[in-house]
Amino acid sequence: MSKKKSTDVKKRKQQGAQPNKRQGKPVQQPEKRQEKHSQKQLEKRLDKQQGKQPQKKRQRNQTVKYQDKQQGIRKWREIFYNCPYLLAVACTSLAVMIYSDEIGIRAIAREAEAAAAQVMGGGVTTQGPSVETMAQQPAMEATDLETLDGNEGENVENAGECKEDKNEIEENNDFLNDYEIEETAEEMDKVIKGVTKFETYEPQETDSRYYSDAGKIALTTEYPYSMENDSYFNDAAFLGDSRTLGISDYAGLDAADFYCDSGMTIFKLLEADGVTYQKTGEKVDLSQVLQQKNYGKIYIMLGMNELGYGNTQMYFEKYREVVKQIKEWQPEALIFIMANLHVSREKNNAETEFNNININDKNAASARLANGTDIFYLDANPLFTDAEGFLNAELTFDGVHLYAQHYDVWRQFLLEHAVEPKIETAEEAEGEHGENPFK
Amino acid sequence: MLFSSVGFLFRFLPVFMLIYLLVPAKYRNFVLLVGSLIFYGVGEPYFVLLLIFSMLINYGLSRYMFWEPRSPQQNRAEKRARRKKVALVSSLVIDFGLLFVFKYWDFAAENINSLAGHKLLPVLLLTLPLGISFYTFQMVSYQVDCYRGTQKEPADLISFASYVSMFPQLIAGPIVRYDEVADRMRSRKIRIRNIENGLKLFTVGLGLKVLLANQIGTLWNTIMTAGAGNLHASVAWLGAIAYSFQIYFDFWGYSVMAMGLGKMLGFRIPRNFDNPYTSRSISEFWRRWHITLGRWFREYVYFPLGGSRKGRLRTIGNLFVVWTFTGLWHGADWNFLLWGLTFFLLLTIEKNTYGRKLESTRVIGHLYTLLLIPITWVIFAITDIRQLVLYLGNMFGVHTSTVMVGGQQLMRYLQEYWVLLIACILFATPFPGKLYHKYRDRWFAVILCLVIFWFSVHEIMVGANNPFLYFRF
Repeated sequence: MSKKKSTDVKKRKQQGAQPNKRQGKPVQQPEKRQEKHSQKQLEKRLDKQQGKQPQKKRQRNQTVKYQDKQQGIRKWREIFYNCPYLLAVACTSLAVMIYSDEIGIRAIAREAEAAAAQVMGGGVTTQGPSVETMAQQPAMEATDLETLDGNEGENVENAGECKEDKNEIEENNDFLNDYEIEETAEEMDKVIKGVTKFETYEPQETDSRYYSDAGKIALTTEYPYSMENDSYFNDAAFLGDSRTLGISDYAGLDAADFYCDSGMTIFKLLEADGVTYQKTGEKVDLSQVLQQKNYGKIYIMLGMNELGYGNTQMYFEKYREVVKQIKEWQPEALIFIMANLHVSREKNNAETEFNNININDKNAASARLANGTDIFYLDANPLFTDAEGFLNAELTFDGVHLYAQHYDVWRQFLLEHAVEPKIETAEEAEGEHGENPFK
Repeated sequence: MLFSSVGFLFRFLPVFMLIYLLVPAKYRNFVLLVGSLIFYGVGEPYFVLLLIFSMLINYGLSRYMFWEPRSPQQNRAEKRARRKKVALVSSLVIDFGLLFVFKYWDFAAENINSLAGHKLLPVLLLTLPLGISFYTFQMVSYQVDCYRGTQKEPADLISFASYVSMFPQLIAGPIVRYDEVADRMRSRKIRIRNIENGLKLFTVGLGLKVLLANQIGTLWNTIMTAGAGNLHASVAWLGAIAYSFQIYFDFWGYSVMAMGLGKMLGFRIPRNFDNPYTSRSISEFWRRWHITLGRWFREYVYFPLGGSRKGRLRTIGNLFVVWTFTGLWHGADWNFLLWGLTFFLLLTIEKNTYGRKLESTRVIGHLYTLLLIPITWVIFAITDIRQLVLYLGNMFGVHTSTVMVGGQQLMRYLQEYWVLLIACILFATPFPGKLYHKYRDRWFAVILCLVIFWFSVHEIMVGANNPFLYFRF
């Protein structure tokens, strides 16, 4: 028995030297081993019977070893031949695990860190990086861009305009008012200047890296808009995502040019990749189009696909850059920043970045660009949302897009919020259309 | 955890497989059980307790069926039969009770409330535990098999629990019977060839899910976004076809992934789909679509009720019961019931009139199936009955309002999706499957699989970075 054991140990050692045993066929091993044992025992018995020298025995042992090695190599090779795909996937996966930031070990480390932080910190909720950055903004902007003046702090309370008494309304300040700088003070008085107001509320705590609760809802720029007919859109361009595509498809604004794609973002808008020009269905480079064509009105509605990208501050800065760029190419054009429509209650998910707080955050950021003279902010949300601000479930299939038949309401809204390109005097405008644009 | 997620592909699966292969064979069932519970628990940290509770109760009751008192007794057989009955009935009550509470309570309560005119029953608003419909059916099949005696001896706890919770089929089927895995539970050989081929099969399933189902799903979503009621008949049909492809490749892909994973673990998970869209009749369709579910209803509902052996009227009654429950199994809403009853109607008509003739024809049978199936999927897809009626109306050119989505949009959809649509049509035929089996060991198949795998991963990553990719706004 002891001999048997010792040979067994030897065998194991030999096998240990061949790492393939791990993946080998464990069930087949015992049989083979037994066979070999019986063979060896037989050999031993034969040796004893024939009285052979132990030296020869050693030699034979060596040849057995050699054969084993050969067999091992063959087995290895067999495994290689039998699972090329497994090996290929394993190798490439390993490479990806090492080199990829999104899948690999670094991502695991990041996830673990985040999990640990969550466990340790309990309820560490960022009051919202963008709130802080927004507060810091005036100083930063003043250095970064001469287009801005930092009168962020001057919030004028205007309780009369409030929907609810509790809410405050702060007045917007212009960020792009360098276009008026050339005008004299007297002329400035004549110009009707729209005001973009914000309805404020108590912000909630959020812990998303994409957004924070702005604590305010941007309202349509107050301005004595005029009512126009469809020809108003003859020199209009619409830039946007799939919801703008909806306007293109279903609102019946055939006169206007639509440059939009599903999944479009403010970051991609002016890139060379292009945007689909809906009249031809071809991709065009918008930066070239805007330098060649002349538009009287440019409507922009982007922000949904940015909900889970970067953060609101980045979104705001890019938006400002885009608007500034467009103004350079199209100095005569009126720019309408359209609010992103809210989503339905069903689609609203506070745990992801996909919710109306985030949308409001984005909207409020873009609304800050509206200066009331040539940049306006239009919020069509009140037309389609319920009392709590959710998109009416009756109007939508997916909680995001309106059914085709409801775009007509939107068209009406746009027609009602037309701006005469020629600057009127305040009295005239008041006399003609003194109505409150808010419903 | 979904199979088509980075968490599964690059965290769970490799770690699990390594441990699974390294441990001695006798601990593999245990590793499989623990792994499956982790797999389930990551996504459903609370409902995993429900799963464990269900498994323990069911296991206890199944053991009670086989339990014999030591002391000699009179009427042994009679008492044994009674014990079995008690155990079976109580397990059925518990299993279906839990399923009812979680899946159907709200639906029932809302309808009863609206019938009564006031709030009679509370609406619980419970979330549905993942896979409860599947694992409940598996446990019930085990109990019934024990009761009937087809399961001759009780499984041990670990085997039973890993059978119920086995992660390849836990959340989306196939519905496996215990006797299909019993032998492998006792002992199974893990061969490198099986791991290799299982992984290939898994990759194919992943591709079906990520590269076909998810992509074509956006077309359906786009069309529905415009709204039922505004669609030109052609667009409505295109949407119905897109949804038919989406649901098929989604479900088939999942089943193929389950088969592949099963193979890697040393099991044989039965086939769930057999080219259903090439059927020549609706009855044939249901012999090829979700085979394991059809089998479950046949073996545990239809046959016990008498099947087709108790006269024509009784057969129709039995079909009615089976299809009512099949409809409701898919979801607790009126449209699912309607969907089930549509099949009841079609199958009853087929069985009693033209079914045989249809299956012997070549072209007509295919056309008949291909025309009816998209309509049934529309009933399945749209839960809002009013919308459903509008959509079905649109498919047949009935409009209550002006058509807003017409030729222009149709052309755009076709321009955008024609490649994908052709791919979907190809993969709905048996040829890709045949090619796969013929060439799967060749080097170019390996490369093709590798491309599919990494392309799928890429799509998953893009989707993860941009969670709205599939609903791009």
